[in-house]
Amino acid sequence: MRVSTSWLREYCDFPDATTLASRLTMAGLEVEAVERQAQKFERIVAARVEAIAPHPSADKLARVRVSIGDAHVDVVCGATNFKVGDLVALAKVGSRPPGTNKVIAAAEVRGVVSEGMLCSPKELGVSADALGLLILEPTTVPGTPLTQVLGLDDTILTLNVTPNRGDALSHLGVAREVATLFHSPIRLPSSDIPASPPATDTVIGARREDPRRCWRYALRAVEGIRVEPSPLWMQRRLEACGMRAISNVVDITNYVMLETGQPLHAFDLDKIQGAALEVRNARPGETLTTLDGVTRTLVVDDLLIADSQGPLVIAGVMGGARAEVTAATTRIVIESACFDPVAVRRASKRHGLPTESARRFERGVSVSTTLWALDRAAALMAELAHGKVRTGVVDLAPVARDRRVIRLTTSSVRRLLGIEVSTAECARILVSLGFSDEGSDAQGTSFGVPDARSDVAIEEDLIEEVARVRGYDAIPAQPLRGFYRLEAIAGRGWLADAASQAMRGQGFDEAVNFSFVAPAQLQAFEATAGAIKVSNPMSVEMSVMRTTLLPSLVANIARAVRHHASGVRFFELARTYHRSDDAQPGKPVVERLRLAAALWGLRARERHWLDPTAVSDFYDAKAAVEAVLQAVRAPPVRWEPREDARFHPRSSTAIVIGKTLVGSLGEIHPRAAIALRAPRGIYALELDLDALAPFALDLPRAVAVQRFPSVLRDLAVVVDEAVSAEELRQVILDEGKPLVVEASVFDVYRGPQLGEGKKNLAFALTYASPDRTLTDEEVAAAHSRIVAEVVRRAGAMLRT
Amino acid sequence: MDERLNALAQRATSELAGATTLEAVEGLRVKYFGRKGELSTISGEMRGIAPAERKALGEALNALRGQVEEAIVSARQRLEIGALESELASARIDVTLPGRGVRIGRTHPVTQTLQDASAIFASMGFAVEHGQEIESEYFNFEALNISSDHPSRDMQDTFYVEGASGKPGQEPSMVLRTHTSPGQIRTMLGRRPPVRVIVPGRVYRRDSDQTHSPMFTQIEGLYVDRAVTFAELKGTLGAFCIAMFGAGTRTRFRPSYFPFTEPSAEVDISCVFCAGRGCRVCKDTGWIEILGSGMVHPNVFRHVAYEPSEVTGFAFGMGVERIAMLRYGIDDLRTLFENDHRFVAQF
Repeated sequence: MRVSTSWLREYCDFPDATTLASRLTMAGLEVEAVERQAQKFERIVAARVEAIAPHPSADKLARVRVSIGDAHVDVVCGATNFKVGDLVALAKVGSRPPGTNKVIAAAEVRGVVSEGMLCSPKELGVSADALGLLILEPTTVPGTPLTQVLGLDDTILTLNVTPNRGDALSHLGVAREVATLFHSPIRLPSSDIPASPPATDTVIGARREDPRRCWRYALRAVEGIRVEPSPLWMQRRLEACGMRAISNVVDITNYVMLETGQPLHAFDLDKIQGAALEVRNARPGETLTTLDGVTRTLVVDDLLIADSQGPLVIAGVMGGARAEVTAATTRIVIESACFDPVAVRRASKRHGLPTESARRFERGVSVSTTLWALDRAAALMAELAHGKVRTGVVDLAPVARDRRVIRLTTSSVRRLLGIEVSTAECARILVSLGFSDEGSDAQGTSFGVPDARSDVAIEEDLIEEVARVRGYDAIPAQPLRGFYRLEAIAGRGWLADAASQAMRGQGFDEAVNFSFVAPAQLQAFEATAGAIKVSNPMSVEMSVMRTTLLPSLVANIARAVRHHASGVRFFELARTYHRSDDAQPGKPVVERLRLAAALWGLRARERHWLDPTAVSDFYDAKAAVEAVLQAVRAPPVRWEPREDARFHPRSSTAIVIGKTLVGSLGEIHPRAAIALRAPRGIYALELDLDALAPFALDLPRAVAVQRFPSVLRDLAVVVDEAVSAEELRQVILDEGKPLVVEASVFDVYRGPQLGEGKKNLAFALTYASPDRTLTDEEVAAAHSRIVAEVVRRAGAMLRT
Repeated sequence: MDERLNALAQRATSELAGATTLEAVEGLRVKYFGRKGELSTISGEMRGIAPAERKALGEALNALRGQVEEAIVSARQRLEIGALESELASARIDVTLPGRGVRIGRTHPVTQTLQDASAIFASMGFAVEHGQEIESEYFNFEALNISSDHPSRDMQDTFYVEGASGKPGQEPSMVLRTHTSPGQIRTMLGRRPPVRVIVPGRVYRRDSDQTHSPMFTQIEGLYVDRAVTFAELKGTLGAFCIAMFGAGTRTRFRPSYFPFTEPSAEVDISCVFCAGRGCRVCKDTGWIEILGSGMVHPNVFRHVAYEPSEVTGFAFGMGVERIAMLRYGIDDLRTLFENDHRFVAQF
C-alpha cells in the first residue's frame, strides 16, 4: 500500500515524513520504503517562452528561447501547442524527467545546440498526455522548481500491511492510525452532493440472491457525465499510489477507494440490459470477458453482478467489457458494496486476479463505509465530471449483526504484557482508533469494536492495540525465569550428531538437498514403491518425496564431476518419506531419519604425492560405515550380500544387526549411474538411523584391560575365492575359545603359484587369559588345533 | 707364549682401530672370539700345557680377552658415533610436503547455524522436539488459528501431497509443513504445562527466487507456563540475539501479525555489518529482520485443551538460512542448496 504523505496531511497532523515512517513501523504498519518525489524532479523548473524561431534545417522542429528568471536557455523543440509568453516546464542539463528514464544532456540537434528539453506531461510522468508541452498557470514565476509549481513535493511511503489490517488499506484508515499515534484530530473530506430528481431507484434497481455472500449493495445514478481526463492533481495522486490514470469517471472510483478503502465500480447505465442489477452466483457454462481482454469461463462459486443479459462483473474482483465506461458514456451508475471476503478471495485466486479491489474485499471492507464512499464518489462526479447526481440510493441493507463489545481489564494487560497500563490510557488509545467506550468500572472498560476492525475479536486483540500504539519499546525486557524441568539428552539428537562427526572424520562434507526429487531419480534406483507425490509441485524435478537420499547425493557427485572435481565425498542427514503399509488413521505417512553418503574419485580429494592415483572404493565406503557404527557403539553387524537395485550386485552388501536391516552400502548400480548421467565408480551408503537407534549405546560400560601378557600367532591359509574372510575368522574364534580373544585379517594375497580362483588369507591371532600368563605349550596346542580345524573346514568348502 | 699373546693383542688392537665399518668390527670379533677364532685356538692349545703354567697362561689369556673385547666396544662406539654424526649432518627431508592425514569434512553452514542456535536455547532450558514434516492441514493451519479462507494463508503458499491411498480427495489433506509451528501443537498435546521446547527442522513453501527457497529450515520456540509475559519474551529473545550475534547486538520488537499469536511481534537486530549505521544489507535502516514472535493466541490453547485463563505463553520462529547468510556473508539463498563441492568445503 503506497501512501502519499501530502494527501494524508489533509486528514491529520504529523511531523515530518521520517518521523511518521518510524512511528508507523513501530506501531505495526511497517514502512518498507520512503520515496521523496522532489528528488525525481531535480533541475526541472518553470520557464517562460521568450522567442520561437524555425529550425534552419528541420521543418518539424523549432528553436525556442526560454527565460528561467536569471538566465536564458536555448532549446530545440518539436511540440507546437505553445506560444510566446506561455509558461512551460524545462528539464535542464543533468536532470532526469521521470517519464523518460534518461538524463538530459546538452546536444546538437541538426546543427543547433539544445541546452535542455521542454517537457510534455508524459515525459514528466504526471499523466499519460504526450500530445504537447505541459502548459503551466500564467502566474507561475519563471525559475521556480516544478515540484513547487505542481505540488509534487510529496513523500510516498510504502506500507507492508499485514493481512489482518484491511482497515489500513486506505488513506483515511492510515490517518486514523496516525491521528492516534500523534494525538491529532481527524478531518474527513466532504461527501455532500447536490442531488436532483428523479430518484436513483426509478432509474435502476438491484437484487441479491444470497445476503451471506453480499452483505450490502448500494447504487447511485449520475447523469450528464462528460468523460475526459481527470484533473492533474488527481492523476498525480493515483500515480503516486501506483495506479494508472484512465478517465475522470474511472479515476474517481479508484481515488475514493484509495481514500476510504471501499472499492467502487462504475457502469455505463445505458449498456445495462433490463431494469435491475443482480448479485448472484454464476450459472454453469457462463463466460465473461473481463477488462483485461480475457474471456473467462465462470464456475458456480463465482459471485457475479449480472443484468438480464448475463454477467457484467466478477463481484469485487474485476469488471467486464460489456458495461465499461467509455469516452461516449453520459449516464453512469456507481456501485458501492460489501461482498463476503471468502467469496472474493476464492474468485480472485481461481481467476488469478489479485486486483486492488479484491485485496481490500478479502481483508474485509466495512458495511458502515458503503454509503459514505458512494456519496463521496458521487460528489466528485458532480465536481469533476459535470455529473448530475440523482436523488436517493438503491441500498440492499446489511443483515443485522451483533455489535462486538469486548471488556478490557488492567489485570489482563499486566498478565500478558508484564506492565501496568492505566484504564485512562487504554481508553484514550482505543477511542482514538475508533473504538467506542461502553462504560467502565474499577477493574476495566468495555469497548465497542468499529466495523472496520474485523480482526479484533477478543481481549488479547485489544491488549495488542494498546501495546503497539504505546510501542513495544515501552515494555521492559525481563530475563527468562529459571527452569525446573531438565530433559534427558536422548532421542535422535545425539545419534545424528555422532554420525555426522564420524562422517566428517572420514573426510565427507555435509550436503543439504531438497526433500523432493524428480520421479526419474527414484526410478533409476527402483525406489518408487510407497513414494509420496507432491500434488502441486513447483516443477517435475521436485515432484516426489525422497524414499532414499541416494539420488540427491549421486546428483551432488555428478555436479562436482562436471565441475572438474577429481575426488569428492558428501553425506546428508535427512528424512525419507513413505506411505505406510498399514495405513493407520491419522498416521498415513512414515518418516525415517537417514544418513547417506556417496564418494567418488581420488581418495585424498586432490592427487596426493604419496599415492597420486589412489581412488576411493568399496572399502572407503565401508570404512565410513564402520566409523559411524563405532561412533554410536553399535554391536557387531553382519555384512550380508543382498539383492538391492540401488547397488552393483557384485560389490554391495546389506548391513544387519540381529534381524534388523540397518542399511546398505556398495557401488552405485551401473544402470542407475547411466540413467542419472553420473560417472561410474560412485560408492555409496545409506543407514536408517531410526532402525539403528535401538542398538546404539551412548554410555558404554567400562571393561578392565588385560593384566596378563597376550601372545600373538599368525595363521595363513589358502582358500577358494568364494570363502570370505569373515567365515574363516568365525571358525578361528569358535575353535579358539576361550584363549583366542581377537583374530583379524592382515593380508590377502593372490598369485599364479596359488592357482586360479584361490587366495591366501593371513590372520593375526591374539591369545590371552584374564587370570594367568599362558604357557607356550598351551598356546601351541590351541594353535595347531585351530589350524587343523580351519584347514578341515576351508577344505570342505574347497570341495564344493 | 707370552710373546705370541702380546703380538696377538697388538695386532687385534690395531686391526680394530683401523676398522671403518661395523661389519668389519663384527668380522674381527668372529676372527678372534668365534668358535674357530684365534683365542679359541689358543684356549684349545692350553690342554697340552703343564698345570703349573696353565694358571698363569690362563690369567694372561683372560687379560688378552678383556683387552680385545674392550677394543671391539670402543671400535663400535667410534663407528656408531661417526654414523650418527654423518646422519645428523645429512640433507633434510622436505618438510613442506603435505601430511598424510585424512581431510576432515565440513558441516553445512545451515546445520552449523541450527546447532549453534539450538545449543543457545538448550542452555536456556529448551528441550528439542522434531515434529513431522508431512503434516495434516489441521496441525499446520486450523490448530494454529489459520482458517482455510483467511488471507494469511497467502503468506505461506503450500505444497500438498497425495494421501496414503495415493488418490487425491480420499483422506484429509496432507501438506508439507509450511512452518515448524505445528510442533507447538504436537508438543502441547503430548504434555501438560509448563512446556519449554524448540522445534528445529525443514519446512516447505511454494516459492523460489534469490530470497525464497521451496525448502528451508526453521526453529520454532514455545514457552507456556503460569504468567508468562511479553516482557519475558523480550528478555529471552534479546538474550538469544546477543548469544547468537555477539555482545552489543540490540533488538527491536515491532508489532506485526501472525494468526497464532496475539500480540505479535517481528524482531529486528541491529545490523551485524554496519552496527546500525546503515548499509546495503540493512537497506540503510540499521536493522535486520530476524524472527517472528508473540504471545500464544488463546484459540491455540483451546485446540490443545489448555485453559487460557490459567496459562499464558510465548512462541517464536526463525529462518535458519537467513541467519546463516548473515553469519557467513552468503548473498544468494540458492547457493545453500546447490551443494557445490567447492562451496561446502570452505566452511
